Amino acid sequence: MIHHPLELCLVFSSLLFCIGLAGALSRSNSILVLLGIELMLNAANLNFVAFWRYGPSPAPATGIVFVAFSVAVAAAEAAVGLALVISIYRRQRSIRLQEAVRLKG
Amino acid sequence: MSLDYRTLFEALRPEGALIIGALAVLGFDLSILRRLSESLRYRASLAVGAAAVVVAGCLACCGPYGPVFGGVLILDRLAVATRIGVLSLTLIALGTVASGQKLRHSAEYVAIMLFAASGLTLMAATQQLLVAFLALELASLSLYILAGFDKARPEAAEAGLKYFLFGGMAAAFLLFGFSLIYGLTGSVDLPEIAARLAAHAPGPLLMVALIMVLVAFGFKAAAAPFHLWAPDVYEGAATGSASFIASASKLAGITFFTRILWTGFYPVSGDASSLPLAPGWVPALAAVAGFSMLVGNFGALAQTNIRRLLAYSAISHSGALLLGVIAVGDFGVGPLFYYAFTYGIAVAGAFTVISVVEKSGPCQKITDLGGLFQRAPFLTGCLAIFTLSLAGIPPLAGFFGKFSVFASVLRLGGLGGPVGWLVVLAIALSAVALYYYLIVLKQALVTPAAQGATRIVVAPVAATTLALAAVLIVLLGLRPSLILSLF
Repeated sequence: MIHHPLELCLVFSSLLFCIGLAGALSRSNSILVLLGIELMLNAANLNFVAFWRYGPSPAPATGIVFVAFSVAVAAAEAAVGLALVISIYRRQRSIRLQEAVRLKG
Repeated sequence: MSLDYRTLFEALRPEGALIIGALAVLGFDLSILRRLSESLRYRASLAVGAAAVVVAGCLACCGPYGPVFGGVLILDRLAVATRIGVLSLTLIALGTVASGQKLRHSAEYVAIMLFAASGLTLMAATQQLLVAFLALELASLSLYILAGFDKARPEAAEAGLKYFLFGGMAAAFLLFGFSLIYGLTGSVDLPEIAARLAAHAPGPLLMVALIMVLVAFGFKAAAAPFHLWAPDVYEGAATGSASFIASASKLAGITFFTRILWTGFYPVSGDASSLPLAPGWVPALAAVAGFSMLVGNFGALAQTNIRRLLAYSAISHSGALLLGVIAVGDFGVGPLFYYAFTYGIAVAGAFTVISVVEKSGPCQKITDLGGLFQRAPFLTGCLAIFTLSLAGIPPLAGFFGKFSVFASVLRLGGLGGPVGWLVVLAIALSAVALYYYLIVLKQALVTPAAQGATRIVVAPVAATTLALAAVLIVLLGLRPSLILSLF
């Protein structure tokens, strides 16, 4: 059974998104949560590339331009996220989210 | 598609002014102000920042009108009003910062707030998914930094990290939803998306995309069940940041959602004004709105911390605002904008009061406000105006905001449908809300001050900010047509 490459791409990106989401929701290490979020963003990027390449109107480069921007945004997001992780590490000497329980209620 | 760079330049002048202002703040702080005292640097950065915001506000008033750069941006009444609203709320947030405890690295703080404001003004005017995503991320990334900025307090880092993790997940949902919509319609321009969606029957993939976008909106607007970050951020972040996150970002966010949902996804809106429901995003939004109002109002009853109380009340107001989004299609954006703007002023004013009280002692618990009337009558008066406006007591602006939004929602289908029942629920829950707002006022007005509590001196900047916000609340409450006649 041969599938259209677009379908395969979509199945793969949905899997990637679900793995990222599961990781982000279940991990207690904040850097691993960050990794999960990056996986989810990359799943979306894969979608854009797949739709751009195999979609009905491949002429304008919209999809690929979108990916270029969103990769840059993901990099900026990782920078901000790691800075926040460092600032919490300085305080509690650990980056486990279970210990980040000062704020509750 | 005509690409007119000159109009684009003119349309983006407010953002340009904000960015130049941010760079000027940083530049001055690194060069001229370097040798001066800490408090002088603090005041100078805030003054330059406020000047940049005022210039941007003036430029936003007199820009071009209509679609810009082939429809990437749209400067209609809603966009212009939201830009000016966001900038005036930024000014109030700068006032909150100025009236509170001094932060270290004030220049960086002000610069990041200006970057966030430029992202928010861009969000108000965007009409294309790519620019929408970039504007949202510019604003969000700056807001995460603002939330975690106050390094002196361990809570701030935690608040920033939690805000970031939730927000990052929301951004991923949004991007995935956008990618599916791009795949289904082959376009990223909202009007074209609407045209293509109208031509095809909605499929399951479109529903997945819509749900993902709505989940992301729920996170950003702090609507239940995606609200978990809000109380922690309001409690942990520096008061100025909390004020900014609660007011300006909410106003811009609501305009942004309204634009994307009604311009882009209009053909799949569905209907919730009468039974049976027509599937689409309106019933989903109505469900989220109802749940937010319930969670927000009942959650606020249990709070002993004033900031968490404001956070839960923000969740319930989010619910009411999302309810207002439903009515935009038939009755225009006037009531929704009025509600979001006046809510922003009131909540930013309340945070400014907290910020002033904080200068002379901790202000976290509601009991920390005890005896505020003896300690600072002016502050108590302002606090009364803000909380009563949040509760929706006439003649303050909060009452008319709720009234006009609920009236427009009721005109959709009367009391016969789910949306009408939600309005009844919202009105009933307003009584619950009045209770917890009055608890705050009771502490401030009736309870005697704690032993050794001194009088609070209100600095001129703080007094000006508070007076401005209070006058706006009263004036807009007495003359709502000042805003409503714009639309």
